[in-house]
Amino acid sequence: MSAVISLETTTLIWIALPFLIGFSIYLLPKLARPLALVMALLSLGYSLPLLGQSTALTMQLVDSFGVTLQVDALSGYFVLTNAVVTAAVLAYCWTSNKGGFFYAQTMVLHGSVNAVFICADFISLYVALEVIGVASFLLISYARSDRAIWVGLRYLFVSNTAMLFYLMGAVLLYQASGTFAFTGLEQAPPEAVALMSLGLLTKGGIFVSGLWLPLTHSQAETPVSAMMSGVVVKTGVFPLVRCALLFPELQPLLGVLGMGTALLGVSYAMFEKDAKRMLAFHTVSQLGFVLAAPAVGGFYALTHGLVKSALFLGAGQLPDRNFKVLQKQPISWALWGALAIAALSISGLPLLAGFGAKTLTLKTIQPWQVIGMNVAALGTAISFAKFIFLPHGKQDANAKPINNPGFWIAMGVLLGGLVLANGFYLEAYSLKSMAKAILTLGAGWLLYWLVIRRVPLKLPRMMEQFDNLIGTMSLMLTLLFWMVLA
Amino acid sequence: MLILQALVFATIFCGFFGIIFKQNLIMKILSMDVMSTGVIALYVLIAARGGFFTPILENSERAVDYADPVPQAVILTAIVIGFSIQALMLVGVMKLSRDNPTLESREIEKTYSQ
Repeated sequence: MSAVISLETTTLIWIALPFLIGFSIYLLPKLARPLALVMALLSLGYSLPLLGQSTALTMQLVDSFGVTLQVDALSGYFVLTNAVVTAAVLAYCWTSNKGGFFYAQTMVLHGSVNAVFICADFISLYVALEVIGVASFLLISYARSDRAIWVGLRYLFVSNTAMLFYLMGAVLLYQASGTFAFTGLEQAPPEAVALMSLGLLTKGGIFVSGLWLPLTHSQAETPVSAMMSGVVVKTGVFPLVRCALLFPELQPLLGVLGMGTALLGVSYAMFEKDAKRMLAFHTVSQLGFVLAAPAVGGFYALTHGLVKSALFLGAGQLPDRNFKVLQKQPISWALWGALAIAALSISGLPLLAGFGAKTLTLKTIQPWQVIGMNVAALGTAISFAKFIFLPHGKQDANAKPINNPGFWIAMGVLLGGLVLANGFYLEAYSLKSMAKAILTLGAGWLLYWLVIRRVPLKLPRMMEQFDNLIGTMSLMLTLLFWMVLA
Repeated sequence: MLILQALVFATIFCGFFGIIFKQNLIMKILSMDVMSTGVIALYVLIAARGGFFTPILENSERAVDYADPVPQAVILTAIVIGFSIQALMLVGVMKLSRDNPTLESREIEKTYSQ
């Protein structure tokens, strides 16, 4: 027996395992939690050695036209995010009374998300994205209330329609280049690129085609929103990042969209009065940062995934979702501390990984993006001031303490990850970047206290209506087509 | 071929506009089915660019134009996925219909989106 199993075999076993575990959970529901946790830890172990390698592995299964896989540092960052977020969510749910079905779907979701992060052809990607759609639907509507079913149905509708456009694009690509691999994109006609980008942008919650996201992420149950916002939306962004790195001529297109979504998301987030909706809008904005600087997108996605799932888990413990009510109801020191650490990281305070990721991204973007992205970073600081300045301290006598030890373990994992992730980019700690970060933060807080807090502006939700979401796709398609052609 | 292609795209657009303009949720799902039928037809059409003969491996090779097996194989996967998603959505709609018997999407949205 050989001492070391090759990376190829490991990859194949690792990619198949979550599905095996997922379906075994139906047979052995008692073992659901340990099995799922083992899988998350295996993904963690698989991803860590990848981070330093530029190209670890490319392989083609079953002859030409088969499944193409590509594993490298970029996949490593995304898989790491998936592993940590899944582990945290499992810890959070450990003492809850969720049935085997929930864990089975979580595993299927985990596996298909991993599959997206290592595949390198458009058809495997399609299959993985559709499985994600189904698994997410089942998780969103797990509560089986009418509202949960409607929110899930709306999600599935939007995502399936987007994927139909994507499929059209894929076959036009095949017609032109004779292959479904990412590398075939070179000969793709503009309509194919536009159709496929539309599918991925919608799935990834970017720009106006991502406006389905706030309702879905805010109405889902706490652990489900943590997973959806932490990793699932990144499955739409990852292929775009991968293609942008393969074909630099795509970068201006994605750069414009990235900046657009960063500004759109953050301007909604600033004026949002509902905690979970604000977090969801902010996800729309952060995906723009990943897209604007594809070369360093992996690191940004990691820090955002950790922060966002921590914040969603934390927001689930708040006594209310409305910031107005929260202003009058002090929360415990511990919960405030956890929320504040996460919020400070995403606002870019040094010592937390969000600072390194933001510095790196802002350094890598094109000169024409600098103003837009810095404004978006300022907007982030403003939006998260709402969390940082929540009243805390002595609680009312009737306030419920958090008696879920899993919550604190999950927070420990996610926030600890944020501190450790600093190590990926220590060069960020120069005097200039630190001064800039603190200045942005200070300016954001000042603006929050002086302006935003007093403006009772409520942005309309018309664009989030179901018919408008589908209709926007046709507009977005036209826009994309002209952008690709230009 | 060109006419066929135009018809295929017309089907896709009919389905797409059906999703937007039909009010009833069941009709919306059926419209999505029309749209996905159009997409499937597009794959079949593109597979038939070089020939129509079913590409099945035999002992003796025939001197005919075979259809391209790759898009056909791919769309087979997509058909299965589309079918299962539709089944899932219909189950969801069945559940919803208990409390919203008209299944009008605007009404349902008004009730549950706040």
